[in-house]
Amino acid sequence: MNDDQLLRYSRHILLPEIGVEGQEKLLGSSALVIGAGGLGSPAALYLAAAGVGTITLADGDTVDLTNLQRQILHTTESIGRPKAASGREALEKINPEVKVVPLQQRLKDEGFDALVASSSVVLDCSDNFATRHAVNRACVRHRKPLVSGAAVRFDGQVSVFDLRDDLSPCYHCLFPENADLEEVRCAVMGVFAPLTGIIGTVQAAEALKLLAGAGETLKGRLLILDALAMQWRTVKLVKDPACTVCSRVMA
Amino acid sequence: MNVLIPSQLRDYTGGRAQVEARGATLAALLADLERRYPGIRFRMIDEQDAIRRHIRIFVNQQQAPDLSAALAANDEVVIVGALSGG
Repeated sequence: MNDDQLLRYSRHILLPEIGVEGQEKLLGSSALVIGAGGLGSPAALYLAAAGVGTITLADGDTVDLTNLQRQILHTTESIGRPKAASGREALEKINPEVKVVPLQQRLKDEGFDALVASSSVVLDCSDNFATRHAVNRACVRHRKPLVSGAAVRFDGQVSVFDLRDDLSPCYHCLFPENADLEEVRCAVMGVFAPLTGIIGTVQAAEALKLLAGAGETLKGRLLILDALAMQWRTVKLVKDPACTVCSRVMA
Repeated sequence: MNVLIPSQLRDYTGGRAQVEARGATLAALLADLERRYPGIRFRMIDEQDAIRRHIRIFVNQQQAPDLSAALAANDEVVIVGALSGG
């Protein structure tokens, strides 16, 4: 690290759990953020500010006026522009040292493979179950840690599926794929603006801990927030031995 | 006992996120919930009495695999619904 970097990251370096060594790990890491919306905005901003070396920001949408109530990567001037490009500008402003790779596409199954394989950590900040399951499958295939968050109305959920560990459950162990399932979408149900900030920021914290090797992550735990009562609950997750996604790969 | 209701099912509970219900097993608890909030059980349990794939039920933080799980009066039951919003 040069003098500017030592200053920029000094408040992390002061933390014994991170220090110079942990900060060097962050600088040498790459994070894949899927979705540059309510969750992806705060998550990507914190990853960039904290100095994660490469951030790939994948989102196929363009910025809409209805996004701006919570999607803090984007500004009023960004309306109509691709979210990935708008997000890149915001991230480069907060930290020009970070390499930001914008991907303006809604990825499907095979599309995730190369991206996930080359990432140190994956953050699922997406808004639909098809993407959530495709991301999970790719993370299982490539044994990558997946930080998964979701937020609708006043309810948030966040967990870490650390697929480097054979004993870790995957997203499909928790919620098996279900063709009949209706999406619980923010566009229909509404979402409390700072809820996405809280959950997305927890995702950033878990990703940074994974990258720096600090503390204990949410592996094996699902954190549930009722933001209306501002009450957190934790439930324990177990691997489903009959899971059609992760048990087959491990067998 | 205290039962946490996920947002998808709060239309049945008048918007309440936490409700009281009784039962010595998860099956009995869900029957009691159905008496209090008609229609809510079918949103969680299918025709074969299996917990629907997008619903998970936790008793004192541990996932209940099926409706036979035994319950005590002071247990906390957390019902979780899959969320996709981001």
